[in-house]
Amino acid sequence: MLWLALYFPQLPLEVFVRGRQQAGALVVVEQQGGREQVSRCNAAAQAYGIRPGLMLPAALALCAGLSVQARERAREQQALHELALWAYQFSARISFEPSLLLLEVGASLRLFGGLSALMAPLLRELGQMGYTAQYAVAPTPTAAALLARNRPVTEVLDRQQIDAAVHDLPLACLTRDQQVRDLIRHIGLGSIGDALDLPRPELTRRTTPALSMLLDRLLGRMPDPREAWQPPQHFAQTIELLGEITHTTALVFPARRLMVSLCGFLRGHGGGAQRLQWHLTHRDLPATHFGLGMLDPSRDPDHMLELFRERIERLQLPAPVIEIRLAVSDWQAFEERSLTLFDGQADVDHALLERLRNRLGEQRVRGLRCLADHRPERAWCLCEPGELPDVSDHSAVARASHPPWLLPQPRPLRERQGVPQYGGELRLEQLPERIETGWWDGYDITRDYFIAHSRAGERLWVFRDRRGGGWYLHGLFI
Amino acid sequence: MQVVNLDELKRDGRLWQGRRNTLAADHVLPSGWAVLDELLGGGWPRAALIEILSDGHQGLPLLLPLLADRRVAARWLVWIAPPYVPYAPALAARGIRVEQLLLVEDVSAEQSLWAGEQALKSGACGAVLLWPGQLQTAQLRRLQLAAEQGDCPGILFRSPRAASQGSPAALRLRVRPAPLGLEVEVLKRRGAWGNARCVVPLRAYVGGGDVLR
Repeated sequence: MLWLALYFPQLPLEVFVRGRQQAGALVVVEQQGGREQVSRCNAAAQAYGIRPGLMLPAALALCAGLSVQARERAREQQALHELALWAYQFSARISFEPSLLLLEVGASLRLFGGLSALMAPLLRELGQMGYTAQYAVAPTPTAAALLARNRPVTEVLDRQQIDAAVHDLPLACLTRDQQVRDLIRHIGLGSIGDALDLPRPELTRRTTPALSMLLDRLLGRMPDPREAWQPPQHFAQTIELLGEITHTTALVFPARRLMVSLCGFLRGHGGGAQRLQWHLTHRDLPATHFGLGMLDPSRDPDHMLELFRERIERLQLPAPVIEIRLAVSDWQAFEERSLTLFDGQADVDHALLERLRNRLGEQRVRGLRCLADHRPERAWCLCEPGELPDVSDHSAVARASHPPWLLPQPRPLRERQGVPQYGGELRLEQLPERIETGWWDGYDITRDYFIAHSRAGERLWVFRDRRGGGWYLHGLFI
Repeated sequence: MQVVNLDELKRDGRLWQGRRNTLAADHVLPSGWAVLDELLGGGWPRAALIEILSDGHQGLPLLLPLLADRRVAARWLVWIAPPYVPYAPALAARGIRVEQLLLVEDVSAEQSLWAGEQALKSGACGAVLLWPGQLQTAQLRRLQLAAEQGDCPGILFRSPRAASQGSPAALRLRVRPAPLGLEVEVLKRRGAWGNARCVVPLRAYVGGGDVLR
């Protein structure tokens, strides 16, 4: 067993600022003895000389335009769960500590081909989602967590080496239990090494069994069961934008963070998403939402981002956006496309269709199909682009004598002494074609179709309605 | 100093040679009409913009044999803002694979140009047919570049009023109805003289009998 611990020291701050590309000076404060104390501050605040531990009035004195947020532990917890959902792609066994994730990566290391091959994409995607992490690797979860917090980037692969790695860390780091901490202080033990060097029965008798148990778990001499976490099957995450966004282009930044997170979720579940649901929350008005469809299930954040950009370009915001949310209610099993199976051309064709449909709307980009019917109005229909004809449509009536253009509706023609008019008298060619059918579905027609010549030399397709009388223009040849 | 390959210029017709009238075979697409191929020096220019000017959106039948060509129809045949409904059975009867059609309808002038440019340069289209409104020369140039980039013919159906406007299109034709079909006049052809004309016998192609009255 090998545990990877990811510790997020800036999590209290990052839950607020990750939605914005640039945030002003911001501090997160906590109650400390009835007074508000700076717990975390961003780089912009540090530039004013603000440091963690400062009292809030002092911080405000240093920077008048300082934004202040009270620490929200519930939100940090939520963020940690979202991170776990993303991290599920690297390990199927995940558990939590405050501001820290534990991933069992012994099996994943073989899969990814070594620790550095695992850590590179992991840290890169964390950055893309707006989080910074300290990591450490050790054979026991307690050791990994301890090292990630206090001695980041330590990699202990062998249980025998844990002792050496933690030896001079303060014993107080081992626990957050205040009673045990007080005890440690009273007996005058400084480092973990000091405690480990003492004979264990003596130590247990003089302190508490709790400390002894912690040390045993640290070194792996005692089992350290952790509750395994079960990931949810659906994805829905929100980023609050720390203020209001009025331009759609500023949505791209938080949207990408959500998409990276989504794609991690999808990889973890071996799936791909075909439809992304976006919700933009406004302060007073109902939320704006829109879907983003893809032709094939995907889990490529760059591809999704490109579609998102095109979609929001034509989006009208009724009001500023304060929150952005991405949800995927259903995802499909996903097969990585292999280039030998699909030629590049099919991808190019798909990409064009997807681009047109996402920018213009699906109802504006359509395919065409023949239907097996004699009536011109019923002999075709719009369909999904690229849809192949049904087997039954192979009997479609193909007529080379019919015009390539059809009017959406037959247009009544004026008539003079029984001769139809269209910019003057029409001359009809001989031998009309009679189309007479449709009694079975209530759209019964009886028509004589002629090819007609207009004064201007156009060739038209006109018919005489044999039942109701009257002439109609229905198609054009040129 | 820029080095220019002379043979290449000759081949794709950028360099005009007084006596020569035909383009290299891999730079044209046979139109399917013998008279038209002769008039155009082998067929439609391949990776270029073609303008067809007429009163009332005429000229589609000239292109139907091209759209039925197997090489062209392997990709999308994009129709942007067509003025009427393409009548599927009649197109199928002329050998066109109707399932390759992509209809872009109900779009603004700006959207139709955007769609045209995307389609032309995507490399995913066999031909792009566009019925635009008024066009600026700069917009035409963008379309021409997109056609070159995607190696795809882009056919614009425009009003005769556009004839007075300059255009980067490789070919500009003026069409008019004629008793036997469509009269085609070359207004501009890259690498050749203008003002040649012919009549394309559509009559035989769409069928029809004698005039009754």
